[in-house]
Amino acid sequence: MTMLRRTIAAVLALGMTVTAAQAATEIFNPRSKTWMKYDPKLAKRYYQMKGGVPEDFQRQVVKFRTAEKPGTIVIDGNRHFLYFVLPDFKAIRYGIGVGREGFGWAGIVNVGRKVEWPTWTPPPEMVARDPKSAKYAGGMPGGPDNPLGARAMYLFEGNQDTIYRIHGTTEPWSIGLDISSGCIRMNNDDVIDLYSRVKVGAKVIVLMQGAALYRGV
Amino acid sequence: MRCLTTALVSVALCGSALGATVVVGKPDWPSAQVTAYIIANVIKERLGVDAVLRPVGTVQLIGAIDRGEVDVHPEVWLPNSAAIVDEYVNVKKSLRLSPVGVVAAQHMCTTRETIEATGLRAVEDLNKPEIAQWFDTDDDGRGEVWIGANTWSSTRIERVRARSYGYDETMLLLTMPEDQALASVDAAVATGSPIVFYCYEPHYIFALHDIVTLEEPPYDAAAWNISAPEHDVAWLDNSAAPTAWQPSHYHIGYATALADSNPAVAAFLDKLEITPKDAEAMSYAVHVEGRSPEEIATAWIAANGARIEEWVK
Repeated sequence: MTMLRRTIAAVLALGMTVTAAQAATEIFNPRSKTWMKYDPKLAKRYYQMKGGVPEDFQRQVVKFRTAEKPGTIVIDGNRHFLYFVLPDFKAIRYGIGVGREGFGWAGIVNVGRKVEWPTWTPPPEMVARDPKSAKYAGGMPGGPDNPLGARAMYLFEGNQDTIYRIHGTTEPWSIGLDISSGCIRMNNDDVIDLYSRVKVGAKVIVLMQGAALYRGV
Repeated sequence: MRCLTTALVSVALCGSALGATVVVGKPDWPSAQVTAYIIANVIKERLGVDAVLRPVGTVQLIGAIDRGEVDVHPEVWLPNSAAIVDEYVNVKKSLRLSPVGVVAAQHMCTTRETIEATGLRAVEDLNKPEIAQWFDTDDDGRGEVWIGANTWSSTRIERVRARSYGYDETMLLLTMPEDQALASVDAAVATGSPIVFYCYEPHYIFALHDIVTLEEPPYDAAAWNISAPEHDVAWLDNSAAPTAWQPSHYHIGYATALADSNPAVAAFLDKLEITPKDAEAMSYAVHVEGRSPEEIATAWIAANGARIEEWVK
């Protein structure tokens, strides 16, 4: 059982009582291939019970033999790891959460733009179903409550912006989970660290496995 | 291109001004470029004949040799170029191939850790659901296997092989660029996760990771039958490839005229032997260490002086 499945199972096992507003966000159950109700309070409680992010998802330097050049990012959505390649067959490994927008997607892109404390604009369907989001329909300024967190790296295909971003989160307990909102989520401390290292133009390889193979979910 | 040996006239008649320069074609892939640098360097430094490199795409190179514009092609692939080689070697007689070839091979590969964890040994093991499930990352009941890039001619044949062996039922056949597929291998090795994938050699991946090729029956020409989708809409149903790939080779090719004008150069080209191990190390130096083909060629020449001496005798 992977770390992801253990974490999802634990969060689901804590029981589900959700309010209408909380129902705006869902968690993906890979066994049933369905989105289920998600209560961030339960994930937060699990996170606090464990004393923080599981060790596997904490930022660490690991051995990583690759032909990719230092500065390249490799995203393994299945294992919920993001690697920043260093010299001498090493990489910094960060834990990530994968959002619904990150599903069914894999490829080779590049960091086209970097933004500190980015503005977040909720998608129209979220505005329609969630009154809390509606007031930010024109864009929510960057800040501690902004769901994009402290930093965002916008992923481009050639010179074209894709819809995909690597960004921070105000909910560190969501690292390691497949939760419907967001794309490639990292803890704010981690995304600030990655942001300081990565250069505009850096190659980003998103592996074709796990959630990247899901279709229509 | 042969220099007159008379001391009095040699200064006047040798050299590129009179067409004595050997033109070595430099295709656009790294291993051929390393070999091109080696050839040009040895011709200049050991045989005393002027040599230059000229960038030419592989499709144009043999035609350029036929027209007398280029003298040497550092990597002619067989059977990939069998038809054009036959035309220029046997019909037009403007091209010769060195008898020495580098063996190139294609397989299904995995990592040593995968073998130990899953029991996977042979290509046909992928037909077994209990083996395939080790490679299932999206919980759809089938494993996943990379069979090549969309644009490669080998990829459609890998699709035929999967159907002939039967693992198209148990495994999802993925196509994607090589960089992306090999990064998956890197990540699988880093986390000790099982992975299986199409591979070819010489290739740096064999030096980068502990890679194991899967067992399969040897190539059987009688059992292979590949229909092209351009000619047959039912090409997949009408094709079969239930054994290993036929081994490929690549050779140095050179202008027939060179054998007459400069037999010492032709004799050297007939003896020059890049081993699969050399080719793998060159691939590793280019792709993993990021060194230039020229730098790798210089280092290879320095490390292989005795072999080169034998070839230029």
